[in-house]
Amino acid sequence: MARGLDVNKGWLVPMALLLLAGCATPVQRGSIPVVEAGRPVGAGGVAVTRAPATQPQAAPRPQPQDSGVVVMVPQGAASAPIQTFPAATSGAPISTGSTFGSAPPAGSSSVTLAADERLDGPVLALLTSAQQMERSGNLAGASASLERAQRIAPREPQVLYRLAEVRLAQGDPVQAEQLARRGLTYAGGRPALQASLWELIARSREQQGDAAGAAQARQRAKVQL
Amino acid sequence: MTRSRTPAPRNSRSRKKSARASRPWLGWLVKLGLVGLVLFAGLMVYLDAVVQEKFSGKRWTVPAKVYARPLELFAGLKLTREDFLTELQALGYRRTPKVQGPGELLVSGNQVELHTRGFQFYDGAEQAQRLRVRFSGNQVAGLSQAGGGALAVARLEPLLIGGLYPAHNEDRILIQLDQVPPYLLETLVAVEDREFYNHFGVSPKSIARAMWVNTTSGALVQGGSTLTQQLVKNFFLTNERSLTRKGTEALMAVLLELHYDKPQILEAYLNEVFLGQDGQRAIHGFGLASQYFFGQPLGELRLHQVALLVGMVKGPSYYNPRRYPERALERRNLVLDLLAELGVASAEEVARAKQAPLEVSSRGSLANTSYPAFLDMVKRQLRQDYRDEDLTEEGLRVFTSLDPILQRKAETAMADTLKRLGGRKGVDEVEAAMVVTNPQTGEVQALLGSRQPRFAGFNRALDAQRPIGSLIKPAIYLTALERPSQYTLTSWLEDEPFSIKGADGQIWQPKNYDRQAHGTIFLYQGLAQSYNLSTAKLGLELGVPDVLKTVARLGVEQDWPAYPSMLLGAGALSPMQVATMYQTLANGGFSTPLRGIRSVLTAIGEPLKGYPYEVQQRFDPGAIHLVQEAMRRVMREGTARSVYNQLPSSLTLAGKTGTSNDSRDSWFAGFGQDLLAVVWMGRDDNGKTPLTGASGALQVWTGFMRTAAPAPLDRTPPDNVTLAWIDPYSGRGADQSCVGALQMPYIRGSEPPPGTPCGVPQQLQEPVEQVMDWVRGWLEQ
Repeated sequence: MARGLDVNKGWLVPMALLLLAGCATPVQRGSIPVVEAGRPVGAGGVAVTRAPATQPQAAPRPQPQDSGVVVMVPQGAASAPIQTFPAATSGAPISTGSTFGSAPPAGSSSVTLAADERLDGPVLALLTSAQQMERSGNLAGASASLERAQRIAPREPQVLYRLAEVRLAQGDPVQAEQLARRGLTYAGGRPALQASLWELIARSREQQGDAAGAAQARQRAKVQL
Repeated sequence: MTRSRTPAPRNSRSRKKSARASRPWLGWLVKLGLVGLVLFAGLMVYLDAVVQEKFSGKRWTVPAKVYARPLELFAGLKLTREDFLTELQALGYRRTPKVQGPGELLVSGNQVELHTRGFQFYDGAEQAQRLRVRFSGNQVAGLSQAGGGALAVARLEPLLIGGLYPAHNEDRILIQLDQVPPYLLETLVAVEDREFYNHFGVSPKSIARAMWVNTTSGALVQGGSTLTQQLVKNFFLTNERSLTRKGTEALMAVLLELHYDKPQILEAYLNEVFLGQDGQRAIHGFGLASQYFFGQPLGELRLHQVALLVGMVKGPSYYNPRRYPERALERRNLVLDLLAELGVASAEEVARAKQAPLEVSSRGSLANTSYPAFLDMVKRQLRQDYRDEDLTEEGLRVFTSLDPILQRKAETAMADTLKRLGGRKGVDEVEAAMVVTNPQTGEVQALLGSRQPRFAGFNRALDAQRPIGSLIKPAIYLTALERPSQYTLTSWLEDEPFSIKGADGQIWQPKNYDRQAHGTIFLYQGLAQSYNLSTAKLGLELGVPDVLKTVARLGVEQDWPAYPSMLLGAGALSPMQVATMYQTLANGGFSTPLRGIRSVLTAIGEPLKGYPYEVQQRFDPGAIHLVQEAMRRVMREGTARSVYNQLPSSLTLAGKTGTSNDSRDSWFAGFGQDLLAVVWMGRDDNGKTPLTGASGALQVWTGFMRTAAPAPLDRTPPDNVTLAWIDPYSGRGADQSCVGALQMPYIRGSEPPPGTPCGVPQQLQEPVEQVMDWVRGWLEQ
């Protein structure tokens, strides 16, 4: 066979072509129907794939006042005014919050918060991108972003509040209630936030079919305000 | 091949018979030729089907890749510059005078500038970007985009820590042609198949040259195989060396070239070629080889690295740069010379490349380390959700919570402690396990299944079920403190000998570790000093079933019989279960299933499954706060107070020692705000050890905490807890002004009435007594 190969080399190509012409399954050159098991990972998994439904880089939108999200910037006293998200800066995936990069201004430290309690740059940025994902319906992405925020600021009740909201939207009222309760344990001295958390617990209980529990939670929400 | 060849002689014989009668020899020669042609055509059709089926289908199965947690950078992050550089080194970043491309880094004083590589995460893509990270003390003081403004947060790409390999253990990272570094294709073609772009699968010229070389040298030194033939051989054929195989190989090579163009064949070759063996795992393709040998993505390789990998194609074992560095270097330089000769690279470039060291990542470095215990845990969690084939073939990307820096610190603490204890008789036979979690997230950050961290065998962290000794005690005190009308931290307990008759008729008579009775003590002292008499008595008062119920509520389901001996930890748990239990104590009474996996992506980066954070409130935060107070006193004044010989006194921690009968098990479980660690030491054969909880496991734990530097435990009391000053002797309410007055937390309403200011000085403890207490504390369990 091997010897034959050497001899026949000359006509091998045209003959093979001839055979192929008669093949039942012609293959177009240049378009291999390859189903690859793995996508090239390249630089250890560089994002060569198509963009996900939402990107943190999504165009910034004005944050409506009624977004339902309370974010307190606990920079000064515990009774800091309730603020909505500051509008994201243009283009940048992450807004550089005013508190970013510098210690809280001296003098305003009547209430000193631990390093992981401050709601500044990273947490604010992640809450913002989570909110954008949530709005576009990417709840899993929003949840992942919020968990990132939670790793950075595990004692920040606002993160837990948002996470609870996403769980509720994901149809998991049991976890929503639990996360809100966890948030409550960190929300001492922040009545407005406590009220929001109780309100969320009320909604979670409603979804669990616990009308009495919901009413009770609503009552607590009122007391806090 | 053999299949189509066998019928040939039979067929031609029958033809011969019919031809003999009517035609002359020329006729049947033509016929024979025709038959041969038909047979050959059949063979080609068969081979063609083989070629196409394999090549157009799923060409490779790719094992799931497992990643460590990505390092998340932000101003205020607790991270030393040294730890950061260790991680960057593991990720294959290299120092350059000027940061220009991905994977480059520049250190200047307290600032590190780097160009990240970008990565597809579960919640979106992280773009490659140039970052400046400024350090101050033990934290990141500033983060900014080079040439841009401050950045709130940025993620590095995660470290690849392993894969889930199928039986044949082939591993690879698939790459595309546009991801290869400069010179790779040219070098490969120059070294392996100079005629690649001109031949049709086989190269008569190369064969002729090979024959010439082989004839003149009198040995088989040159193959003359084209890249296409090599690909065919690896892809379709066995390693058999015969002319028949050679022929098939050539035919298939030609067929392959007919169907596919050169770049496609080249790309397949780059992904298929075998480049090394890592234990059971076969390193296939340049993508994985680059990670395996240099810890870098292929696209970042420079000329000297490219030359080394291409040179290794000829003999991956023979030229293994880790095992035979000189041989590999010689081969690399030979390749480089060839490149200069052929004009692929300039003489200067080649000269510079020849100056470079091999730059192969060394074994044992973070980039080249295995985490068998952690991967074992991840595999078990994955197997609950995926079929084995999905894990070993679909190229899934599994994102875990492993923190390689903490893992390394845990390993170091274990090794150092064992070395230090090594002088003691019996310590050599002691095995160990360790679980490190973040109590606030329930994520497992490090795991040791053995005292040898690279040992992939019995995973003691998950599978060693050992009596937990006094680690059970917080559950007893928690059960009591949940009843504030009956018990407070300053309730009186009697630490006196007693015996009871169990349901089985056996007499149970607990003893203290120091064989002494301690009289009337405060409730918290029973836990802090780990007194068995008072604790057992308290447990009996509460009821053994209630205590076991508390253990279950803490997160550990067990079927322990409700015997009194359970109160002193006769029940067995794995270190992982203990971590689950203490996690609830550390996390304000919220139970969290321990997680090692954050999310799973498909091979093309689509989110597949998240493993969300889950909590369940199991206890009143107030009761937990009180137990934490007693556990804090274990560290300050109790059995674990030796930790503050090594740790700063400002670091508030809580924990508990544990020792089973005859020191067969040495335990310590404890936590700060953001770090929980459980250490177990003992013998696999359950023999006696020279170690108590304090002298063994606690030492490892302390060594770990010293380097890991957790945040101090947050002692902010929950709403229903109030602090009161008490007299340290009577337990009655006292005033802050009284000497020796203690501040104790109470569930609101259970505190003693406030005392009046006093000016009478109380006698302080004698210094000698304090030293004795210290010695006792260190020895006691």
